[in-house]
Amino acid sequence: MTRDLVAGLVCLAISLVLLAATRGLPEASMLVPIGPGAYPRVVLAITAALSAMLVWSGWRAQRSSRARSAPREAAGQSSGGVRNYGLVLAAFAVFGSYTLLLPYLGFRIATLAFVAAMQALLEPPRSARAWLVLIVVALVTAFGAHAVFERGLSVLLPRGSWTAF
Amino acid sequence: MFELLGLGIIDILQWKYLVPLCLGTLIGIIGGALPGVTLTMTIIVVLPFTFGLDPLQGLAAMVGVYVGGESGGLITACLLGIPGTPSAVATTFDGFPLARKGEPGRAVWLGIWASFFGGLIGGLFLVAATAPLARLALEFGPWEYFALFVLALSMVVGLVETSIVKGLLSGAIGLVITIIGTDPIMGVPRLDFGTDFLKNGFPFLPVLIGIFAFAQVMSEIEAMKPGGALERAITAAPKLVVSHVRVIGEILARPFLLLWSSIIGLIIGILPAIGGSAANMMAYDQAKKFSKHPEKFGTGTPEGIIASEASNNANVGGSLVTIMAFGIPGDAVTAVMLGAMTIHGIQSGPLFMQQQSKLAYGIFAAYLVALVVTVLILWVAARAMLRITAVPKSILIPVVLVLCVVGAYALNNTIGNVHILLLWGVIGYLMVKGGLPLAPLILGLILGDQIEINYIRAIQTDANPWLFLTRPISGVLLGLAAVSVAYALWQHHRQAQRAVESGTDF
Repeated sequence: MTRDLVAGLVCLAISLVLLAATRGLPEASMLVPIGPGAYPRVVLAITAALSAMLVWSGWRAQRSSRARSAPREAAGQSSGGVRNYGLVLAAFAVFGSYTLLLPYLGFRIATLAFVAAMQALLEPPRSARAWLVLIVVALVTAFGAHAVFERGLSVLLPRGSWTAF
Repeated sequence: MFELLGLGIIDILQWKYLVPLCLGTLIGIIGGALPGVTLTMTIIVVLPFTFGLDPLQGLAAMVGVYVGGESGGLITACLLGIPGTPSAVATTFDGFPLARKGEPGRAVWLGIWASFFGGLIGGLFLVAATAPLARLALEFGPWEYFALFVLALSMVVGLVETSIVKGLLSGAIGLVITIIGTDPIMGVPRLDFGTDFLKNGFPFLPVLIGIFAFAQVMSEIEAMKPGGALERAITAAPKLVVSHVRVIGEILARPFLLLWSSIIGLIIGILPAIGGSAANMMAYDQAKKFSKHPEKFGTGTPEGIIASEASNNANVGGSLVTIMAFGIPGDAVTAVMLGAMTIHGIQSGPLFMQQQSKLAYGIFAAYLVALVVTVLILWVAARAMLRITAVPKSILIPVVLVLCVVGAYALNNTIGNVHILLLWGVIGYLMVKGGLPLAPLILGLILGDQIEINYIRAIQTDANPWLFLTRPISGVLLGLAAVSVAYALWQHHRQAQRAVESGTDF
């Protein structure tokens, strides 16, 4: 499937689900001539229509690309440059874990672990100096940001419910 | 007007405002100089630092980032051939060849001084035009506001480079985000599926930070190789000594080029949600068309550098006009500024100039002072900026993400905002992968509530829906919106036809 087809189908499904969910909303009142569901219905109907158009154009593109793909494959053409999607997925996982653990571990501990893990993921340290840089960056980011925001700017950061730190 | 501006400048020159302004400008220059770090990202990083400041301090810092960032990109563009920001792409075309010809100082300082003069022209327009435009906007009723916001959205949709359907769909997704949560008129919960997470809807800033930060950071990670910095480039930073009188003379000897490039930058800035990235390319193209020696473009001609840099800095002035007079952000950077203003309880838009005139003229003053500060910082530290580009991305990315988390959390000290950041980070990245442009989404997100509120207010005042078309200003604005979409459709159709005729294989 082409990316347009996928994007269109996802947007179409979401807009239809939301459109169905507007059914229970109250209707117009004496003071407000349009109920709270009217505007969302218009917006969602437009979104659904545009998504359907994207599905249609994606489907057409897929058909025409299939017709051209055979000679390309025969010629051994590759599609696009090398993209490290595994690394992206791992980065999202590390960040997701950080956001989930933040309220339990508190800003300083969670940030220390996150910055260290993310650095190790993006550029695995291979020498003692690299490990030292990794640890120093993690410490400075976690404790430096905490000091600047909490003490300098009076911006409170999360305390950990497990660590009270 | 000039009295208020003078008072604003006196205010800004106090240490309490000058320090955040200078720090903001420095961070902006660094962010601008770092290839792969956009101005939007830089201002998102600075955002949480402004929460603890007073409104003018925070906005002065952000204006500094904006002005500094537009100039920072030219250093790497001229000396490494890699634009630090999309706003400096066209600077590379002639800046880098000129530097390679043995005149790196001339290349860099032509850019810096052109930025300064372009920014100054933008500043004059900002000071002179904002108040009259705001007065005009005060005459607007809900019909006109509705029409103005629809026009803004349609223009962004028309200006996206990908397909028009994707542009429209992206804008519609932005509107969909605003209908989730409590309805702005009656306070009825909508589409929250009974969950606390969705009950209050999605606050604008965590969504914006998530979408823009992750779209960029994850795209960087995708293409990462070990040691992903520009270490190779900075073995010996060149000396940038130059005769400033001669360089300034070179720029001022081309008044038409300077003025026209700045006007292009201003117009692009005024148009919603497109910024310096379009301005510098269009100004470069125009400079080439008007030049007596177009064949010299791309070989290190000063005209190319002047056009690109004057336009991208004048663009800042144009963007600030739109946000201050109409409350519509000129680009993603001003969208973040709009969010910061909201956090401080400031409503931008036509009443802003009347109700917050001290703050408004403080922003004007900050803009003008930031231009001078930018020149001074680059005077001292232009060569050092090259060394900063050697910071590995493996260090930069986690630090940026931590600051995004702080920015989202500190809005109202709830962890829910951090989860919204993550959710929209994933969605933003998937949207980029799906080829959906982000600018229309952001504008839809910002204007969604206002479109709904003004639509309902208009119907409440008079149930006749034809008034949207028969009231003169509203009718003209909606007509322009239709023309904008029709023109974009025609342009896309024409491009597709040309591609078919030239046998391009998609």
